[in-house]
Amino acid sequence: MSESLAIQMLSIQKIYPDGTVALKGVNFDLRRGEIHGLLGENGAGKSTLTKILSGLLRPTEGKIFIRGKLKNFRNPSDALRSGIGMVHQHFALVPTFSALENILLGQEGSSNLSRLQMSKARARVEEMMRAGGFSVPLDARTESLAVGVQQRVEIIKMLYRSVDVLILDEPTAVLTPVEVHDFFKTLRTLRDAGKSIILITHKLKEILDVTDRVTVLRQGQNAGQIATPEATPEILARMMIGHDVLPSIEKKPTQIGSAIMQVSHLRVKDNLGLHSIEDLSFAVHAGEILGIAGVEGNGQTELVEAITGLRPVEHGEISINEKNIAGQNPRQLYQQGLAHVPEDRRRLGMILEFSLSENSILGVHREKRFHGWLGKILWGKVGSHTWDLIKKFSIVASDVKAPAKSLSGGNQQKLVCAREFDKQPSLVVAAQPTRGLDISATQYIRDQLVHLRDEGKAVLLVSADLEEIFQLSDRIAVMYEGKFMGVAKPEELDRERIGLMMGGVSALAAPVGEAAR
Amino acid sequence: MRTKLWGWFKPLVEGLFAALLGFGIGAVLMLLWKYDPVKAYLALFQGAFGDFGSIGKALSCLLSQGIDACKETGVIYGLYELTNTLTNATPLILTGLTFAIGIRAGLFNIGAEGQVYIGAMAAVAASLFSLPPGLHVLVSILFALIAGALWSLPVALLKATRGVHEVISTIMLNWVGRYLAYYLIATALVDPNRAEKSISIAQSARLLPILPGMDLTASLLVSVLFAGIIYWILWQTALGYEIRAVGLNPDASRYGGIRPTRTMIASFVLGGLAAGLAGATQILGRPPTYALYEDLSNVMNLGFDGIAVALIGRNHPLGAIVAAIFMGGLSAGSNQMQIAAQVPLEMVRVVQGAIILTLAIPELLSIFKIFRRKRG
Amino acid sequence: MQECTVNFVGFLSLLWNSAPDLLRLALIAMVPITLTSVGEVFSEKSGIVNIGLEGILLISAFTSLWAAEVTSSPWIGLLAGLGTGALIGWIHGLIAIPLKGDQVISGIGINLFALGFVAFGIMAVWKSAGYHQAPPAARVPALQTPLGDLSPLIPATILIAILTWFLLNKTVLGLRVKAVGENPEATDVAGISVERTRFFAVIYGASLAGLGGAYLSIDWLSTITKELSAGRGFIALANVVFSGLNPLLALLGGFLFGVFDTLALWIDTVSELKPCLPFAFHNFVKMLPYIATLAVVAVAIGHARFPKQSGQPYRRE
Repeated sequence: MSESLAIQMLSIQKIYPDGTVALKGVNFDLRRGEIHGLLGENGAGKSTLTKILSGLLRPTEGKIFIRGKLKNFRNPSDALRSGIGMVHQHFALVPTFSALENILLGQEGSSNLSRLQMSKARARVEEMMRAGGFSVPLDARTESLAVGVQQRVEIIKMLYRSVDVLILDEPTAVLTPVEVHDFFKTLRTLRDAGKSIILITHKLKEILDVTDRVTVLRQGQNAGQIATPEATPEILARMMIGHDVLPSIEKKPTQIGSAIMQVSHLRVKDNLGLHSIEDLSFAVHAGEILGIAGVEGNGQTELVEAITGLRPVEHGEISINEKNIAGQNPRQLYQQGLAHVPEDRRRLGMILEFSLSENSILGVHREKRFHGWLGKILWGKVGSHTWDLIKKFSIVASDVKAPAKSLSGGNQQKLVCAREFDKQPSLVVAAQPTRGLDISATQYIRDQLVHLRDEGKAVLLVSADLEEIFQLSDRIAVMYEGKFMGVAKPEELDRERIGLMMGGVSALAAPVGEAAR
Repeated sequence: MRTKLWGWFKPLVEGLFAALLGFGIGAVLMLLWKYDPVKAYLALFQGAFGDFGSIGKALSCLLSQGIDACKETGVIYGLYELTNTLTNATPLILTGLTFAIGIRAGLFNIGAEGQVYIGAMAAVAASLFSLPPGLHVLVSILFALIAGALWSLPVALLKATRGVHEVISTIMLNWVGRYLAYYLIATALVDPNRAEKSISIAQSARLLPILPGMDLTASLLVSVLFAGIIYWILWQTALGYEIRAVGLNPDASRYGGIRPTRTMIASFVLGGLAAGLAGATQILGRPPTYALYEDLSNVMNLGFDGIAVALIGRNHPLGAIVAAIFMGGLSAGSNQMQIAAQVPLEMVRVVQGAIILTLAIPELLSIFKIFRRKRG
Repeated sequence: MQECTVNFVGFLSLLWNSAPDLLRLALIAMVPITLTSVGEVFSEKSGIVNIGLEGILLISAFTSLWAAEVTSSPWIGLLAGLGTGALIGWIHGLIAIPLKGDQVISGIGINLFALGFVAFGIMAVWKSAGYHQAPPAARVPALQTPLGDLSPLIPATILIAILTWFLLNKTVLGLRVKAVGENPEATDVAGISVERTRFFAVIYGASLAGLGGAYLSIDWLSTITKELSAGRGFIALANVVFSGLNPLLALLGGFLFGVFDTLALWIDTVSELKPCLPFAFHNFVKMLPYIATLAVVAVAIGHARFPKQSGQPYRRE
C-alpha cells in the first residue's frame, strides 16, 4: 500500500446489529497534509465511516491502512495511539474543568497518586498554541467558554495527544460566521504544519472554501471524489443528491385558503443558548402542505418545539387562527387547534410503558368526554376510542391494554398520528413523520397527511427526507442555519437546486417572490 | 399473551428470588453464630400466622357460634398470631403508599417517618376536644390527614422553588418533626399523671378491637380502604394518569400538556395524607396504648419500614398490602423466633435489608445472563 | 419555681466561661460527621451517591468494637472499621456500577440491613440486648492537650479532610474522579476506566464512614448500641450538600454540627439557665441544625454544583 497516504480505507462495509446497512463497501483515502471534505446527506454514511476510522465502531468488513500499515482498532484509544483523533459534535469535555485540565485528562502521564504536573503541561500547550497561531484561556472553566473556544480546546486536546489525522464532525454547526473564519485559518495552519484533516460537512461553501479534495457519499456508497479546484456547487450538489427522477403521488389540486398559522420575526435559542432561529417569518395556509427541507440541525427541531409550546420563544410572534400563541403550553395549544406529531416518538410522542389506551389519550386526557363521576377516567370509553383509532389507521394491535412498547415502530407512529389527527386540528405539525418506518406504514402516513390537506387543514411538514418533501409538499422551504434559503413550489425545484440550498447556496433567483407569498 | 402473563409473573418471580436471597443471607448469619435457622424460620412462620388447624377451627367457630361462645372456649385465640400480623401491617400499608406514590411520580419521598409523628400528634390533639363518638374518630383522622399533608408541603415547595432534592429535605424534616413531637408531648399534650406519654385518646375517638382479646381494630379497614382509594386515584383518574406519566417520561408528559410541578406537589401531598393517616391508625386503633409515648417508640420506624413495603410491593398499592402483611408477619413472628430459637428478633431486619439490596438491581433475572457471559 | 436571673450579658458570660469545654466537645462531636461527609464528597464527585452512610457507621461501629475487643487492640479495631466500610462500599459499588442498579434503593437497603445486623450481632456476640460497653483495652487512647484529653482521631480527621481535598484537586486521581462524575464518556474516550475509578471513589468514601463508625464505638462513646449512629449518616449527607462537595467546607460544616450538638446539650445542663427557658426548650435547640441545613441547602443549591452524572449509571453506547 502506498505510504504517501496517511490513511487508506478499502471496501468498508458496516451492518449494524439491527440489520441496518450503513456502508456498502466504501473506499476512502487521505493524503498527508491535506484538508479532505467528506460530504453527504443525512444517512449517507459519513458518521459511520469516521466512527470506524476513530475506533468507536468496528467495520463488518474492509481494511484500514495507516501510513501503509494494516490496522485494526478496538477502541478510540487504539486509534489515538495510531495518531487519529476525532472531534465530535458533542464535545468530550468536562464542563467544570479548566481548559488545561481537559487537555490533560488521560495524558497525565504518571501514576494515579502523583501530583498533577500542571506547569509542565501548561508550557507544552502554550508552545503548541504559539506554533499553531491560536489560543484559548487555559484557566477558565470550560463551560464558561464560547462554543467556538470549546471546540478549539478539543482540537488542542487532540494535538496534545500528537495526532496526525484530525477528524472534525460538522465543526461549523456550532460556530458563528466570524468564528468560522478563524476556525478555517486554524485548519490551514494545521495543514501547513503537516497534519491531515477530514472535514465532515453538508455545507458546499465550506467545502469549496477550505478543502483540498472532496469525497462524496450517498446512501452508504461512494458517489464521487474530486479535487476541490475542479468542483463547483452544482457538481457537488448533483453528486450528493443523485439524478434519480422524483416519485410523486397523485394529489388533487386544492383550493389554498387563508393563513392558519403565521410566524413572524421568530427568534429561538437552542440548548446551548445560541440563536438557532433568527428572524424567521412564514405562513401555512388552509389546504396546503408546507414542507421544510434541510439537513438536520439547521433549526428545524427548535422551530417545531417553539411552535408546539415546548421551547420558549425569545422574540416574535406565532399565531394560529389570528391568535398569538407564543408562550402557551401544549394543552392550551391543542385547544387552539394544533396537533403535533413529534420527531422523536419514543421520547416525546408516547409513554412506552403506558398501554395503547393510555397513550391514545395523552394530551386529551382532561377532556370531559373521557370522564365520569368524580373525575374517573372511563376506561371503557377510552378503550373503544382506542379501537376506533386502531381500525381507522389499520394499526396492528390485539389488545388496547398492552404496553405501547409491544408495538412495532410503524404501529407506534400510526398510533401517535391517529391520536393527533383525531384532535380535529386546524393545523398539523408533523416532524420526521415517517423516519425509520417500513414502506407500508410510510405510505399510509403520507396518504393521511395528504388527506388532511384535502380536508382543508394546514400541514407543516418537517423532514430530512427529500423524497417525502417532494411527494407531499405544495410549497417547499429549505432551511439552513435557522433561515429559509428559499420557498418555492415543487415543480420550480429540482434536486440540484435543493441540494445547493441545503448546502447554503442560494439557488432561487426569481420564483421566491411568487411562491413565498 | 405470553408477554402479558410474564408482565404479571416477573415481579413475583423477582420478589420470590429476592426473598429467598434475603432469608438465605439471614440463615448464613445464623449458622455463623451457631443458631438453628430451620428452627428459627419455622418459629417465625408460626409466630406470624399461627397454625392452619387452629385458624380453621377459630373461623368455623366464629361463623357457627358467634364471638362470645368462641371466646368462652378459647378457640378464638387460634387467630391470635394472624391478627397480630395484620395489626402490624396496618400502618405499614399506609407508609408504603407514601413511598410508592413518590416513586410512581419519579420522586424519592422518604418523609413518611416524620409525617407519621406529626399525624400521630394531630390525632392525639383531637382528643383535647370532646365530641360525640363516631364524629370524634372522623375528626381525629381528618386532623392527622391534614397534619401529614402539611408536613409534606415544605418538601414540595422547596423542590419546586429552590430545587432542593427531596431526599435531603425529607430527612431534615423527619428530624425536625421528631423534636417537635418530643416538645409537644412534653408540653401541650402531656399526660399530667404520666409524664412518659401523651394524654390518652378520648374513648369517643378510639377504634376498638374487632375480636375480644386481640389488638386488631377497624384501622385495618381504614388502611385497606385508603390503599384502594390511592389505587383508584392512580389508575382511574386524570390526576393519577398525570402522576404516572410524569414518573415514567417527563418529556412526553410535557408534550401531553401535563404540568410537572403541579403533579409533583400533588404526589407529595397524597403521600403526606397516607403517612399522616398511618400515624392516626397507630394511635386511635392500637390497643392497649391509645396514646403517644414520650420517646415516640410506638410510631418509630414505621416510615422507614414503609420504604421496604413499597419496594417489595413493587410500588403498587395492592402490592403494598401484600408486602405490609409480609413485613407485619416478620415483626409479629420475630418474637416467637427469639423465644423458640433464641435468635434475636432483629434478624428479620437483616432479611429485609438484604431483600431491598437485591431489589435495587434492575432486571434482576437477567443478572444470571451477565454472569454467564462474563464466564464465557 | 426558681426566678430567672440570667440576662443576655449573663448568658454570654456563661457561654464564654464554658467556651474551652464547648470547643473540646464540639471537636469530639465533629469527627464522625466530618469523616463521613468528606468520604461521601469524594464518592459523589465520581457520580456515586451513597445514602447508606448511616448503615455503614453502625455496622463499622459494631465490627470495630468486636475486633478491638477480641485482639485487645484499638488500632486493629480502627482497621476493622475501615475494612468494613470498604466492604460495604464495594457492595454498593457492585450494585451501582456494573449492575447499574438504583443507588438510592441500594443505600436504603444498606441502612435497613445495618439496623438488623447490628442488633442481631450485639446479641449474638455479647448475649446482651442491644448494648455493650467497650472494655478499656479496646478503647483508643487519648492525647493530652491544653484543652484536655482528646482523641487522636480529631487531628486525623482534620488531616484526612485536607488530604482528601488535596487528592481531589492536586492529583491525577482527583482529576479522573471528577471527570467520571461529570462526563464519563469523555473519560472513557480518554482511555480511563470509568468503572475502576468509580469503584475506587465509592470504596474510599465508604471506608472513611467506616472509620467514623469505629470512632463512635471504640473512642468517643465507647459502647455499641443498635442506635449508636443516631442519624449522623443522614446529617453527613446534608453536610455534603452544604459543603458544595468541597472537603474543607465539609470539615467546617462538620464542626458547626458539632457546635450545635454540643450547645443543645450544654443549654440543658447549665442550672442557671433552667428557669430562663421554656420547659422542654432544648428540643428546639436540637432542631436547629436540621432547620439550618435545610435553609442553607435551599439558599446554596442555586450555586452548588453537583456532578452531571450524579446517581446515573454509565452505559457505553
